[in-house]
Amino acid sequence: MDQIESILQRPKLYNNVDGVGELGMAFMLLGFGLLSWLQARSPAGAIWHRMDVFVMWVGLMLLGIHYGSKAIKKHITYPRTGFVEYRNLKSTRLSALVLGCATALLTALGLYLAARTHWKIDGSHWGLTTPVALIGLVFVVFYVLHMVSAVRWKLAAAAAMAVCSVAIAVLPAGVVGAVAGSASAVATLDERSSGAWLLTIVLYGAILLISGAISFVLYLQHTQPPVRVAE
Amino acid sequence: MNQHIQKIAELDRVIHEPGRLMIVALLFAVERSDFLYLQHETGMNKGTLSSHLSRLEEAGYVEVVKTYRGKIPQTLLSLTAKGREAFVEYRRKLKEAL
Repeated sequence: MDQIESILQRPKLYNNVDGVGELGMAFMLLGFGLLSWLQARSPAGAIWHRMDVFVMWVGLMLLGIHYGSKAIKKHITYPRTGFVEYRNLKSTRLSALVLGCATALLTALGLYLAARTHWKIDGSHWGLTTPVALIGLVFVVFYVLHMVSAVRWKLAAAAAMAVCSVAIAVLPAGVVGAVAGSASAVATLDERSSGAWLLTIVLYGAILLISGAISFVLYLQHTQPPVRVAE
Repeated sequence: MNQHIQKIAELDRVIHEPGRLMIVALLFAVERSDFLYLQHETGMNKGTLSSHLSRLEEAGYVEVVKTYRGKIPQTLLSLTAKGREAFVEYRRKLKEAL
């Protein structure tokens, strides 16, 4: 029975057989990191702080990742190791919709309350950057559950991400706060938390980029497009 | 005869063959896939895989669609509703038997 269960999981793992899943996530994190860095290094009135620029940035980033991943799958992965179309069940779509709506509502409510009360999430409320480290570690747990069972060496990437989160949490407040620059002036988070967020997404993005790139190179080395004859 | 042994005798023989079990389990988890994917995942050669797919198609468990990806021929495979039901039933009976 266990063997049947493991076969049933294989198509899910196939989605990242070429490292494209990780590369997409890496580009998204680095894209957000770059925008945050631009915000941190520019005055409060700069275009990087405008909502329309933010929406356009995210839109372009998502389009690039979506069509880039599709192009790699179409021209490299499918000709080498085959095409898979995943199931799009009504129940899955519905739960994703409910989860998305609930997350959006809670985020909007949190931001509204924060803006209304001019609330600053700082050390006195949360114990410095611990929440950032915890969110990072939760991501690491999901990463281990999804990736490491299939590809053992990905444990090194997970360990690197965990080490980064712990290191960011224990870094001196001045060092982490300096990373945030002026970004924290317009954000709800204090300097140290903003710096911790920025460091986390950039370091996680860099680790995923390296891990995804290694997977991609290994995939290219170990697979060849087959010579096509009648099937 | 012991009830557990009887359960084993009731298993669907079309699915129970290891090669076909791999194919059905892989197709169960997806909407559809092509011949190359199944060949890559199962490690079977084209002849063996074709023969198993023909058997599954005869049983009405697998639908085979011949198409083209650009100018390259592509064979798309998916489990039919009957195939999905048969696999669910097979797993249930196997669980009871073990």
